[in-house]
Amino acid sequence: MKRLIMMGIGALAVLVLAFALTGIAAAQGDPKKVSDDAVNAVARKLYCPVCENIPLDVCGTTACAQWREEIRLQLAEGATDQQVIDDFVKRFGDRVVGTPQDPTLRALSLAIPLGISALSLIAAILVFMSWRGELVRGKKVQPVASPSAPATIDSYRARIERDLAARR
Amino acid sequence: MSTQFADVERAEQVEQVEQVEAKPRRSANVIGVVIVAALLFLGAIFAFGLANQRQTQPRSGLAPDFTLTLLDGSQVRLSDLRGQVVVVNFWASWCAPCRQEAAELEAAYQQYKGKGVEFLGIAYTDTERNAKAYLAEFGITYKNGLDYKTAISEQYRITGVPETFIIDRKGEISDFVMVPLTLSQLNTLIERALAR
Repeated sequence: MKRLIMMGIGALAVLVLAFALTGIAAAQGDPKKVSDDAVNAVARKLYCPVCENIPLDVCGTTACAQWREEIRLQLAEGATDQQVIDDFVKRFGDRVVGTPQDPTLRALSLAIPLGISALSLIAAILVFMSWRGELVRGKKVQPVASPSAPATIDSYRARIERDLAARR
Repeated sequence: MSTQFADVERAEQVEQVEQVEAKPRRSANVIGVVIVAALLFLGAIFAFGLANQRQTQPRSGLAPDFTLTLLDGSQVRLSDLRGQVVVVNFWASWCAPCRQEAAELEAAYQQYKGKGVEFLGIAYTDTERNAKAYLAEFGITYKNGLDYKTAISEQYRITGVPETFIIDRKGEISDFVMVPLTLSQLNTLIERALAR
């Protein structure tokens, strides 16, 4: 009796497993089972092939609709989000993701604008500081730079007076 | 004498001031040079971008060579077709005007098949599934392939689809058309290329 119960439980377990696997397979092959959210999660990382800078999830062209359908099909076939993106990059190039996929090129594309901005900022600060320095020096030098300043003329006059007095 | 003395004193003062100013002025000059160089570099990038934007589809001269991977996996190279007139048509399954000319292109292909005219269809930003469905829908039998990474489209600088280039026997562009073609228009263009 116990053996019969065990066999019954085993048979039931096999049936449940078979049913579950069939369900998963059916869900994987059926594009209708892939939700719009799942499709858009991938689509928002890609860009419209025929317009400028419009993410695929919000683009209304027929080309975008077809690409979203292609994403749905690939997800239904069991591809992961990254696998779908990689496949699109392989077929349509880096421009579908907006940034280069090559790590070096991607690093350069991100670093160059930041580098130029940082350099510009440093240059601007240095120029400002040098202008400020010139301004301060200009104030100190002013009496020397102007020979016609009254103080200079007075000192010349005093020296001339001294020279004349010495001659007398 | 006193004037000479004053001149000497003033010259000394000026020299001292110049020495104090010399170092910062030099660094200011270096900064200036760096800024000018950076501006020139950015200007060159913008100029290059603008020059590229202004480039249009080639309308004469030698047609840019390419290798097209066909939907059956085989490859065809444009330069290998030298000696024949080649009709290169850029299309896409999502493109409505392409549908207008699809049947006309196939009819022209049937008409000129074996008469020294080859047709090449290049699917622009299309998926394999949709491209195959489109070809089946219109019964298209001439060679067709996907433009991987839009490399060929960039070479020909197409701005949309459909666009068609007629290439003569010498490999030079005979005509370029960026509207859906009819059979009679295709006849005229092909005959013109054959006569060259």
